[in-house]
Amino acid sequence: MVFDIKGKFNSKLISSIGKPLERKEDERLLRGEGLFSDDFNLEGQYYVTFVRSPYPHAKIKNIDKSDAEKSPGVIAIFTGEDCLADNLHPIPHSPVPSTKYDLKLTDPEGKDIFIGPQLLLPVDKVRHVGEAVVMVIAKTNFEAQDAAEKVYVDYHELDWTADINSSLKEDSPKVWDEIKDNICVDTIFGNPEKVDKVFNSSKYLFSKEFHIGRVTGVPLEPRSALASYDSTSKRYLLYAGSNGAVRHKFQISKTLNIDPGSLRIICHDVGGNFGTKNRVYVEFPLVLWASKKTDNPIKYTATRSESFLSDVQGRDLLTKVELSMDEDYKFTAFRASNVSNVGARVISLSPLGKGIALVTGPYDIPLASARARAVFTNTVPTNAYRSSGRPEVTFAMERLIEIAAKSLGIDPIKLRRINLINKDDMPYRNALGVTYDSGKYEDNMNKALALSDLDNLSIRKEDASQRGKFLGFGFSNYVESSVGNPKESVELRVDADGFISLIVGTQPTGQGHETSFAQVAADLLGLAPEEIKVVFSDTDIVKKGGGSHSGRSMRHAGTVICLAAEDLIDRGKKLCSLLFDQNYQSISFAREGSFTWSDKKISWFELAEAIEGVELSGDLHTGLNIERENEMHEPVFPNGCAACEVEIDKETFVPKLTKYIAIDDVGRAINPLIVDGQTHGSIATGVGQALFETFYLDKASGQPLTGSLMDYGIPRADQLPSFVTELNEVLSPTNPLGIKSAGEGATTPALAAVINAVVNALEEFDIEHIDMPATSFNIWRSVNNKNKESKS
Amino acid sequence: MRISLTINGNPVSEDVDNRTLLADFIRNTLGLTGTHVGCDTSQCGCCVVHLNGEAIKSCTMLAVAANNSEITTIEGLSNSEDLSAMQESFRRNHALQCGYCTPGVIMSAVDLLKNNPKPTEEEVRDALEGNLCRCTGYHNIIKAILDVSKAG
Repeated sequence: MVFDIKGKFNSKLISSIGKPLERKEDERLLRGEGLFSDDFNLEGQYYVTFVRSPYPHAKIKNIDKSDAEKSPGVIAIFTGEDCLADNLHPIPHSPVPSTKYDLKLTDPEGKDIFIGPQLLLPVDKVRHVGEAVVMVIAKTNFEAQDAAEKVYVDYHELDWTADINSSLKEDSPKVWDEIKDNICVDTIFGNPEKVDKVFNSSKYLFSKEFHIGRVTGVPLEPRSALASYDSTSKRYLLYAGSNGAVRHKFQISKTLNIDPGSLRIICHDVGGNFGTKNRVYVEFPLVLWASKKTDNPIKYTATRSESFLSDVQGRDLLTKVELSMDEDYKFTAFRASNVSNVGARVISLSPLGKGIALVTGPYDIPLASARARAVFTNTVPTNAYRSSGRPEVTFAMERLIEIAAKSLGIDPIKLRRINLINKDDMPYRNALGVTYDSGKYEDNMNKALALSDLDNLSIRKEDASQRGKFLGFGFSNYVESSVGNPKESVELRVDADGFISLIVGTQPTGQGHETSFAQVAADLLGLAPEEIKVVFSDTDIVKKGGGSHSGRSMRHAGTVICLAAEDLIDRGKKLCSLLFDQNYQSISFAREGSFTWSDKKISWFELAEAIEGVELSGDLHTGLNIERENEMHEPVFPNGCAACEVEIDKETFVPKLTKYIAIDDVGRAINPLIVDGQTHGSIATGVGQALFETFYLDKASGQPLTGSLMDYGIPRADQLPSFVTELNEVLSPTNPLGIKSAGEGATTPALAAVINAVVNALEEFDIEHIDMPATSFNIWRSVNNKNKESKS
Repeated sequence: MRISLTINGNPVSEDVDNRTLLADFIRNTLGLTGTHVGCDTSQCGCCVVHLNGEAIKSCTMLAVAANNSEITTIEGLSNSEDLSAMQESFRRNHALQCGYCTPGVIMSAVDLLKNNPKPTEEEVRDALEGNLCRCTGYHNIIKAILDVSKAG
């Protein structure tokens, strides 16, 4: 057993954990044999096309479907009124994070938050461009699309609001009549009075407002749903990809007003998520409902344009930050005022809440206060997007530090070093009351700087200049948090065929759970990872579980696997004791996965065979089959830093990332090969927002102008360098394996590091800040404005 | 219209609607679901297959235009129990995560090395400009392709 008597992890006894094993899931994916949602088809299935709102805000006056109903192949056309008539409920979104440690957000009166109910199809008005309004079902996809063109929706256009500042104004158009303005959350944390006092008497005070813009996840597999209803068994079946089919099952059942047991969801391979597929989309319950109504399977697959218009999106935070320092440049107080654009409905407050908890970042600041507000706008709702909320606040802090250092004429690295939380002060409680579990922040920074070759930076700058480029260096520290749904469950079952099934509630979307979970179970049960079969993907088999979000899966699954393995070994001993008439105490479990007593030895699989046909009673009745649940609220705080170089062409102002170094403390890395891969992708997510990505709405019409991959820039192979990544594993004391989280950390400092490099590259123009994305146009405009300023 | 072509070495003959895209024909009519569709605008490259030995985006071609052609999809890259060298290198280097873009990336990569067996890193990156990956940041994809090139 890899745990000693006191339950302490004995790393000398592990053989699979920590190894960069190749992934079990790869072979099928490499052969084109993955099972993604749209790969499923059912005999005679109908197809759905949705008529979507062309306006950001409009009353629905009338829907005329008479022409469309005559269109060839049309089976049925449904509207919001049909949903109401059948008593379908709004999607029960739960936007407020559920652990004991999350900061509690409230409405402006300190009460429960009005979230703006999401009916499956609206009946009163549309609240964002792309909102589904009418469902058209036909025999073929083409026929459904043709018929959708013939549905006439009579809209009365209303004034709209799309950005945070406009929604905050008193005379702003209101997205919801149910509340007095657009502000659905307003909560203050920390100690504003004390902060004011310190600010008033401080030697230095710096402040700056930043907008971290709207982006969208773009998992390459568009969402898809295939539903059927069996009138004999009265059961529903849904094939739909998500980050956790179990939660979807319960939420969709509530929407349809049915017993959760009557709904089966199958979710095998999922083509990326990044937060985009965390939530139930209206199309999922709608195809289920319509398949019962039409007594036929129904399929929906989103086009990329529909994904741009209706996938939940990310970021969109306006933040004003203020920082005071004493004469030794020691930070003395910090204040943040953050406003999140939640879109037309509150789907998730995780970005706002998680960000607020970490506004002081990895720095030792004795006092802080933060105001958290959220506003409705006529845009697609925002949700947690890779490293929800943390890149935003890291951007604000790390940009402010650079601005302050420049103004003080000191080295920004030195300013960081003076104020970083010392490893000896761990666990560290920040000024908003959040306790960081562990970490060696200055070591992270030293590692990155050692790889950065700063001694020769001026030579590289000179060399770049000769080549017609401005070269800049950028740096950012980070600390982020991994919380997420506190409950996870697992079932371990020893099968006589030579495998142990590990049935787990959480669902991967590319993170390699089949391999890393097997590595953990294998070490605990004394087997090889090949002998562990990880099972998820079917809610008739997997009954409970939290899903992949907030970097929670490895930590939660790892912990509950530890508990279940302990139970299973205990069960094995009891069964040996019963079957072979031995004293329980005389049986031991050996590392190589067998039970021994006197000169006898029996393996897991021999024991499974031995109990076949034996009637087991009482506590032993499930045989070698253990279910275990765990609830773990304590968060962990992955941390690290990034250093990078950007070259900007002097003629065209096109920026190019030329070097990127990431140091990450993920706690224990179960599979470093997978962790490195997560880090690479995570970097690209952050760099994408810094240099290329913005979900852009036309200021005059509220129409999205980035509705396809032709005009929304996700990073391409020729726009990124190879990365230098290193881990600085500091085990978390909060869970038995010491896991923090991988996959979101490296996104967190990337926005700030890249923009710091862009600003540094332009030092001769004395530009204080450049908004994201730092496209050639944005850079040129900043330089040009500066030139005009200096001439006037 | 009825079209006949060879796919992964097998002759097929099917009736198709004139407006059916080659990608949809491969997926829905022939049931070869390893070829994926990730966008509507020929940007993502999830649908790359080989047509008469050349990498093309199958979402940007009508099925009828592929009449009498020879097509290889990801399913036809290895006909044995062993993976092809490129597939194997992707596994070894962890060059895939969710696996959705992977078939298209691999078909492009095989085509690249056929035309340029010893590319530089920059040439590999340029050649993959038409294949989007949202998971890997391309780092391990580039490594996997260069590994095959070095071994070959």
